[in-house]
Amino acid sequence: MIDKRLTIKILDILNSGGASFSEIYIQKRVSSAIRLEDKKIENSNSGFDMGCGLRLWKEDSTFYGYVDSLEENKLVKAAGILSSAGKSSGTGKILDLNRELKTAKSEYNASIEKYPENIPAMVKKEILKDVDSACRQYDRRIIQITAGISDIEEEISIANSLGDQSGHKVVKVFLSVNAVASDMDLMRTGYKSLAKTMGYEVLDGSRAQEVAREASRIAVTMLDSVDAPVGELPVVIGPAFGGVIFHEACGHGLEADAILKDATVFKSKTGEKIASGVVTAIDDSTMPYNWGSYAFDGEGTPSQKTVLIEKGILKSFLYDLRTAKKLDKCPTGNGRRQSYRHVPIPRMSNTYIAAGDSKKEDLIASVKKGVYAREFAGGQVDPATGDFVFGISEGYLIENGRVSAPIKNATLIGNGPEILKRVEAVADDLDFAPGFCGKQGQSMANEVGQPTIMVSGITVGGTG
Amino acid sequence: MVIELRKDELLRICRQTADRIPEVRADQWEIFAARGVENDINVFDGKIDTMSFSDSIGIGIRVFKDHSIGYAYTAVLKEDIIKDTIEKAITNSMITEKDEFNYLPTDDDQRYKKIMVKEDILFKDSFLSAEVEEKIDMAIQLESLIKNTDKRVTGVNDVTYNDSISEVCIINSNGFTGCYSTTIAMVYASVISREGKDTSTGDYFGIAKDPREIDLDEIASNAARRSVAILGGKKIRSSKMDIVLDPMTAAQFLGVIASSLSADSVQKGKSLFKDKIGEKLFKIDINIFDDGTLPEGLVSRPFDGEGIIKGKTPVFEAGELKTFLYDTYTARKDNTLSTGNASRASYRSTPTVGLSNFYISPGKYDLGEMISSIDRGLYVIDIIGLASGTNPISGQMSVGAKGLMIEKGKLTHPVKEVTIATDILTFMSSFKMLGNDLRFVPGAGYMGSPSILAENIAISGF
Repeated sequence: MIDKRLTIKILDILNSGGASFSEIYIQKRVSSAIRLEDKKIENSNSGFDMGCGLRLWKEDSTFYGYVDSLEENKLVKAAGILSSAGKSSGTGKILDLNRELKTAKSEYNASIEKYPENIPAMVKKEILKDVDSACRQYDRRIIQITAGISDIEEEISIANSLGDQSGHKVVKVFLSVNAVASDMDLMRTGYKSLAKTMGYEVLDGSRAQEVAREASRIAVTMLDSVDAPVGELPVVIGPAFGGVIFHEACGHGLEADAILKDATVFKSKTGEKIASGVVTAIDDSTMPYNWGSYAFDGEGTPSQKTVLIEKGILKSFLYDLRTAKKLDKCPTGNGRRQSYRHVPIPRMSNTYIAAGDSKKEDLIASVKKGVYAREFAGGQVDPATGDFVFGISEGYLIENGRVSAPIKNATLIGNGPEILKRVEAVADDLDFAPGFCGKQGQSMANEVGQPTIMVSGITVGGTG
Repeated sequence: MVIELRKDELLRICRQTADRIPEVRADQWEIFAARGVENDINVFDGKIDTMSFSDSIGIGIRVFKDHSIGYAYTAVLKEDIIKDTIEKAITNSMITEKDEFNYLPTDDDQRYKKIMVKEDILFKDSFLSAEVEEKIDMAIQLESLIKNTDKRVTGVNDVTYNDSISEVCIINSNGFTGCYSTTIAMVYASVISREGKDTSTGDYFGIAKDPREIDLDEIASNAARRSVAILGGKKIRSSKMDIVLDPMTAAQFLGVIASSLSADSVQKGKSLFKDKIGEKLFKIDINIFDDGTLPEGLVSRPFDGEGIIKGKTPVFEAGELKTFLYDTYTARKDNTLSTGNASRASYRSTPTVGLSNFYISPGKYDLGEMISSIDRGLYVIDIIGLASGTNPISGQMSVGAKGLMIEKGKLTHPVKEVTIATDILTFMSSFKMLGNDLRFVPGAGYMGSPSILAENIAISGF
């Protein structure tokens, strides 16, 4: 989006103050969001962001600035301010203006059919109206529906003082449905989303209505919920979004910035057994169309598949350029950023527990008294300790090997590294679910996944 | 580096944008322009880890056509892009539903006729002269203070200095023009401590309108104390017991209650406070205010996100629910006046009903009196999983907690990996004593609470 001459000029200014690395990240983002609530289209918003993030390293420090513009004078000014930040003993490397920047290649290949810019807002409105009626037709006790569709189209180009450059385009579409069911004085909610790194073909057929019915099913089911048990119990965690527990309670501890700050329990454990032998966990940003996929990460490193844990043994952390350099490792293509306004940091992409060979039915049948946690409202973890809490949005009692009544108001609380050791069995029904993950004020598209798994004991916090 | 204010430029951008809106295609319009100047300094091991700086302006355009609303924003202020953004806002107004209550605020929508917030409580001129070196030094000094607090403190997870200057201008086709500037500085520290095999973290922060007003010693000692206090924590047997929430955790719970007080939630049938105006929902005589004019409040403003003058709204008086929080749209629906709670997160989004400085008036008890009144209970100093563990629609709450056991009126051993489970209405009616130690925490608004003693709460351990 800016020419090679200007790119090199900016990199040279950034490096002139003795930087050991400098980078220019350019992004154009066109976004739209439309929301239905109370049977009405309440909001239809459009956004335009375009700008440039400038980064440099001096000694151990990172300096960052951005401008909401691609005009030469503004970039030159910002680069000048940034280059003088911090102290440096180095002299800075000046790029050879005649040298070609080397264009990075990615294996990621996913063609887009229906670009958001070609989808009239009327079409999105109709999809949401269909969602609303699908929910209301599902059950008369559905009293309120909030549904939203948002999409983004981005162009990104990155160049750095190592002489690497990359360019790619991103298209993402996100549909979410929140249904409220009511009976007498009770109100219960159900949430489901569908999100892919692809165009509006993701909603082809009756996909949106399926999401609507699933959100409604959860809300209506939970109307009959009973008090959740309390205390430490065996827990069968359902497929797809159940992977959020691994993501939160273990995945963040495998992001390499936590090593530098001595804030992960997995530090210096590479090659050691940290999980039960049935656990293999992977981060893979190359899976076509998944919500957390990309051709290049936020630093221009091509996407890749990284085995984190293999049969219980810790294999790798997730690195960005900076942590890879400091820890003398290869970057894994996990340096992600929310936008040109943000510094890239190590982040997961699509992170999942690989399929095992057990059957879901057998996992449930093996539990005499416990909980089947099928969907979660999200959770929170302290990465330094691995302590976590997850809210169960759809859960059931397991009594004598059978799933029985739905439970309300339940959370799971525990310690990620401890739970990893207590995974008794992993089923063969691997599935994925999209979400947003927040870290250091940056929200990223992440996908979590797992098959059904059985954990021998987790503390269930309920009221019963 | 000297930072100059650019209010005049913002106003000019607003007016120039408004001039480009074609009259026939929009009955009414509103332009919201915001500038943010931000500094973010993260230190580690006595050095800058990451430092970022930005100075940006963006605009959000809201148009009304036949009582439908369209919105669009741009971060790029080039003429062709602004024109395109206007076009998108107009297109969006053709998609959204018509609603007779959708129109810009008029003078009749104002509850207060005069602005009650003085410019000097929002903005400290002295802020502009704080050099970046001074700010870096504050963060580095804080890190070193923390390392000297307690030998069990092994490191810092995060020490960040962050500040910003915000300038906002709103103009609309009803003749409203308003601008204000605010300053805010915050220092945050998260501390890791270890003893034996156990690791624990604790955090604390200081926040002020001028960085020099932040007390680093207080942050260091509190962050370390909160981390070390729960080292060696263990699970306790599940049972119902009385709990004392420290002000920082209590303020987070208050946020859950507050989220259901938006008239928007109530009107859509999603609030458990529906039809409860006039009911005494607390057993004790608790007073809760939403105050957009509080001098020490960090989100005090002269007017809200759609230009309604801010005031002080008693939401609960003597335990009784008095009102919901309104913007003009929801107020017209309920045939009342806006409480000035139209809030805007940034120029990227439309105004929605939000919170100002939202707080529980302090009570009369010392923390010691509250603890000594409990035979068996839990003093809660940290909660996790509040967002995922509470459902403001169903009212269910189940969150993780850490703290100290209370036995026979005394704090005994640390406790962790337990949950607090209740529902919002039961929880509110369980409040028994309020402390005299009001403290504010940034959240959905600027949330303030004293310590709270709540009785007979289900704690789940083993």
